[in-house]
Amino acid sequence: MSIRQWVGAAVLGGLCIAAPANAATPQRVQVTGEIIDTWCHVTEIMYALGTAHHKCAVWCAAGGIPVGIKGDDDKVYMVLKIEGDDTSVANPKVLKIQTHQVTVNGDLYERDGVNYLIVNQVADDKGVVNMTHEDYGIQPFGE
Amino acid sequence: MTRHSILAAAAALALTAGPALAAEGWGIDHEQETRIEAKVVDLLCEVSGDCTENCGNGKRQLGLLLDDGRLVPVVKNFDIFAGATADLLPFCGKRVTADGLLISNPKMPMFALQFKREGTDGKWSRANWFGKAWSKANGGKKAGAWYKHDARVLETLKASGVYGIPGLKPSE
Repeated sequence: MSIRQWVGAAVLGGLCIAAPANAATPQRVQVTGEIIDTWCHVTEIMYALGTAHHKCAVWCAAGGIPVGIKGDDDKVYMVLKIEGDDTSVANPKVLKIQTHQVTVNGDLYERDGVNYLIVNQVADDKGVVNMTHEDYGIQPFGE
Repeated sequence: MTRHSILAAAAALALTAGPALAAEGWGIDHEQETRIEAKVVDLLCEVSGDCTENCGNGKRQLGLLLDDGRLVPVVKNFDIFAGATADLLPFCGKRVTADGLLISNPKMPMFALQFKREGTDGKWSRANWFGKAWSKANGGKKAGAWYKHDARVLETLKASGVYGIPGLKPSE
């Protein structure tokens, strides 16, 4: 293969995974809030915060439902990458911090009503502090 | 019965109902039964330009890029407590017809996939490929209540407890 052919192949290879034209510039943010299961929280199909929902949140994260942060600003952020790890489907590290109260630094991309968050650093992790089980039991099955 | 438990029961019924080639409502606020043509994309790549081969080969969340440029994350499939990556990954970069619930909740718009097919004339299939993949990865075990038997779940809950706080247990 000639140098010209190598260059051509490399260019074509790059094009196969090229960035989309409409990728935007992010906003640098710090978000404080609770790690959540986006599906249960947004749909309100059950009570989906704190200790009452921890077990279900682990199920959903293991099942590949997107994990997010319910910010103290009441916004929902969908996490696409965390501390350099681009695994956003059933990431074992994220399973371990489900329901935790965290403060993260990251890059925010807002698009079509969704807050996509790339977490660059988990700056603080207070563990699970939202004690909801006394009011809501264990969601959704009570055990 | 509380509103939450009624919704949970309705969703559980929907999840165990027989196949029908059209989306079924699940009684969720802002839901709309929707059949739509779109391109399957890697969300991280689409929004930030951080791209990799084959939409991340199953480790990245996927979405639908509509013809009008709107991007909708697909967060749920038809298996209980499961997302839709396994259902959409084979169609990475391709057009599909997605049938399910478009949930236009102002907190976070999202799509719950119930059926899908490649293009407009591919073969329809139920969006239950998480369960199929889980079963295959777990020696053929039925995936119905996968979450009760999943090794990652059991390991996580063994360490954290059901409330997420080690040592804090439900009262007898």
